[in-house]
Amino acid sequence: MDKDMDGRFERLEKGIDNMVNALVKNNPSDKVAEDLLAAEAELSRGLKLLETHQNNYARIQQLRQETSLLDTQIKDIASSLWNMRKELKAIPTTTKPPDGSKHEFTTAELLAYARRISRNTLPPPGVTNGVDLSTSQPSTQPPDPEDSFRLQTQPSQTQTPNTSINLSFNGTVSTPGPISAPTPNMTTNNNDTQHTTTQLPPSQPPTKATAEARLPLHLKPAVDATHDATFLPWPSEAHIRQGGLAAIQRLVDAGIDPRGYDPAEEERKRKAEEQAKKEAEERARQERDAAERRMREERERMARERERARQMEGAGAGGGGGAERRDSVAIGGGAARKPKQFTFLGGDDDDDDEEDED
Amino acid sequence: MESGPMSVDSAVLDPPAVPEGGANEPKHGGYSRFELELEFVQSLANPQYLNYLAARKFLTNPAFIAYLDYLQYWTRPPYLKYLTYPTATLKMLEILQQEKFRQDIISPDLAQAMIMEGMKTAVEWHREG
Repeated sequence: MDKDMDGRFERLEKGIDNMVNALVKNNPSDKVAEDLLAAEAELSRGLKLLETHQNNYARIQQLRQETSLLDTQIKDIASSLWNMRKELKAIPTTTKPPDGSKHEFTTAELLAYARRISRNTLPPPGVTNGVDLSTSQPSTQPPDPEDSFRLQTQPSQTQTPNTSINLSFNGTVSTPGPISAPTPNMTTNNNDTQHTTTQLPPSQPPTKATAEARLPLHLKPAVDATHDATFLPWPSEAHIRQGGLAAIQRLVDAGIDPRGYDPAEEERKRKAEEQAKKEAEERARQERDAAERRMREERERMARERERARQMEGAGAGGGGGAERRDSVAIGGGAARKPKQFTFLGGDDDDDDEEDED
Repeated sequence: MESGPMSVDSAVLDPPAVPEGGANEPKHGGYSRFELELEFVQSLANPQYLNYLAARKFLTNPAFIAYLDYLQYWTRPPYLKYLTYPTATLKMLEILQQEKFRQDIISPDLAQAMIMEGMKTAVEWHREG
C-alpha cells in the first residue's frame, strides 16, 4: 500500500515539476497540465483507497481483539470443563443396582422362612439351657405387675423376650415365632387376668399360681414343664434316629437294599394284597353261607314235609307218638338253644332214629 | 453315593434337583436324594454326631471328605432356603472343610464344649439384638 501511495506521490510531484519547469520556461502545455490533473486525481483516489485500507485495518484489529477475547473465553471454558470432568471423575460412584428385584426372594418368602426356622433358632419360652439370664437382663422397662407376678411364681422361669406366661401355661409353644405375634395376645391376657383378679374369683392362671406357690420348693420343678428342658440349635440325636438315614440303616440291617425300595410303596402293595385276599375270603364265605342256607332250607322243607306226613300218621295212630315228639322237642331246645330251625332238625334226627327204630 | 458308596473313584455328582412335586425320582428306602442329603447335612450340625462319625474314622476317609466338599452346594441358592437349622449347619459345614477340625472333633471334650457353647449361644443371641 505504501509503495502504491509513494508511486502516486512521485507521479504527482513529477507532474508538478513538469508543470513548474514548463511555467519557468514559460512554455506551458496542456499535456503537462492534464498529466498533473490526472496525477492529482490518481492521488486522491489513492488516498480514498488508503482510507478504506486504514478502516479495514482498524476493523481487522478490532476483530483480532475480539477473537483473542473469545479465544481466552474458550480456553477458560475448556479448562473449567476439564476441571469439572476431573472433579466428576473423582466422585466415588456407586455401582448401579441390577435391574429388577434386588434379592432372589420375595418378602413373603423371607417371612415364611423365618417362621419355619424360628422353632429351631429360638428356645421356647422358659427354656434357658441352664444359662442364668436374669442377671444380665437389661432393666430398661419399669417392672409391670405381670412381671413381678411371673418372677415370684416361677423362679426357675426367667424372662426371655417373647416369653409369655400364658403361652407357657397353654402349652402352645410350638412356634415361638415372630415376636410381634404373641405380644398382642399377651397384653390382652394381661388385661384379662387383671380384671378377673379384681372382680371375680380367680380364673385359671391365678389358681395355678397359688397352687404352685403352695408347693414345697423341692417339688416345684416337678410341675414346671420347662424344668431341665434343653434347647439345641441343631437336630438332636432323637431326631437323627427318627430320620430317613436311620430308616435306611434299619433296611440295610434287615438285609434289604434301600436303592429303589420304598417302604410306603411296599406297604401299599402289601395292603392291596391283603385286601384282595380278604375280599376273596369274604366272597368264598358268602358263597359257602349261601350254599349252607340253601341246604338248610332244603332240609327244613323236607323236615316240614315229613312232619306233616307224620302228623297225618299220628292223627291216625293215637297219643303215643305225640309224647315222643314232645320229648324230642324238649331235647332239641335244651341242647344248645339253637335257632328254631335247628330244633326242628334235632327233632327231625330223633324222629328219623325213632322212625328207623320203628 | 450312586457308584460305590465309599470309594474315592465315585463320580462327582451334581446336586439333586430341588423337589417340585415330581414323584418320578429314584427313591432310597422311600426318600429322595434331596431329602436324605438335606437331613444329613443338617445332622452334621450336631457335634455329638460328628464325634460319632469321627470315632468311626469317617472324617479321615478321602471319599467322605470329598462328599463333605460336595455337600457345600447347600450354602447356595436354591438349596439354602431348605435348611431349617441354618446357623449351625452352615458353620459346621464350613469348618468341616478344615482338616484340623476333622481331626479334633474326635475328642469328646471338644464335642461337649461345642454343645455347651451352642446351647448357651442359642438362648443368648437374641438378647443382644
